[in-house]
Amino acid sequence: MIFNELDEGTSVTLQPSGKFDLVSAPPLKARIDDLVRAGKPRIVVDLSAVDFIDSSGLGALIGGLKAARQEGGDLRIACAGDQVKAVLKLTNLDRILAPYGTVEEARHDW
Amino acid sequence: MTGEDYTVEGFAVPDELESVHALLSRVAADHPEIDPMDVMLFETAVIEIANNVVEYGKPEGEVRWRLTLRVTDDEIQADLDDTGQEFEAFTGAVMPGEDAEGGRGLAIAESMFDKIELERADGLTHWTMVRKLGRGLGL
Repeated sequence: MIFNELDEGTSVTLQPSGKFDLVSAPPLKARIDDLVRAGKPRIVVDLSAVDFIDSSGLGALIGGLKAARQEGGDLRIACAGDQVKAVLKLTNLDRILAPYGTVEEARHDW
Repeated sequence: MTGEDYTVEGFAVPDELESVHALLSRVAADHPEIDPMDVMLFETAVIEIANNVVEYGKPEGEVRWRLTLRVTDDEIQADLDDTGQEFEAFTGAVMPGEDAEGGRGLAIAESMFDKIELERADGLTHWTMVRKLGRGLGL
């Protein structure tokens, strides 16, 4: 997976695209881990270009969330499509990964 | 409209998951009468089962599969045959807690299918998966 990355100083936005699945989740999770280790634990994952997520993608987001929070940051998601929202709801993960409408909303207090 | 079968065959490897998505897209395009939510959740569930074969099928990289999709008046059905080793039968997969990083695949699939069955015959594992149309999110 090729994903865009935007460092906005107080936070970093990652923008994966296409299928966020067992192929693409490991590299994104590895990048999140790198950012957290580099002292950038405030991360927004912009899902506007993702049309499908599977359990591997969910696992990467949860793993990233835990890593970010351990370092005093957070991982937030923005612009989730219908499939992503449905899967988050069915897995009860919408409680800890509440989808923000826009990237700006996700990083409003950063 | 009922009757037509949609089939894809190949190796159960990560790159082939795209052909599963493509097959579902063909079904959706041919059946605009189906609620997109039904196709979307069915696709999500079928991919979780396919992921399982890709990740755990042995010998790794050599497992072959054949997926057939079918639409009836009130259901969307999938039959998946794979040549991997026998898979331990499962039912009642429990959705793990919110901080778990794995273990959701089968629970997701079960929640989105109305029927999922696993049979082993002639060296093949056969998965039968059915979703009734029009049940919405089904929460």
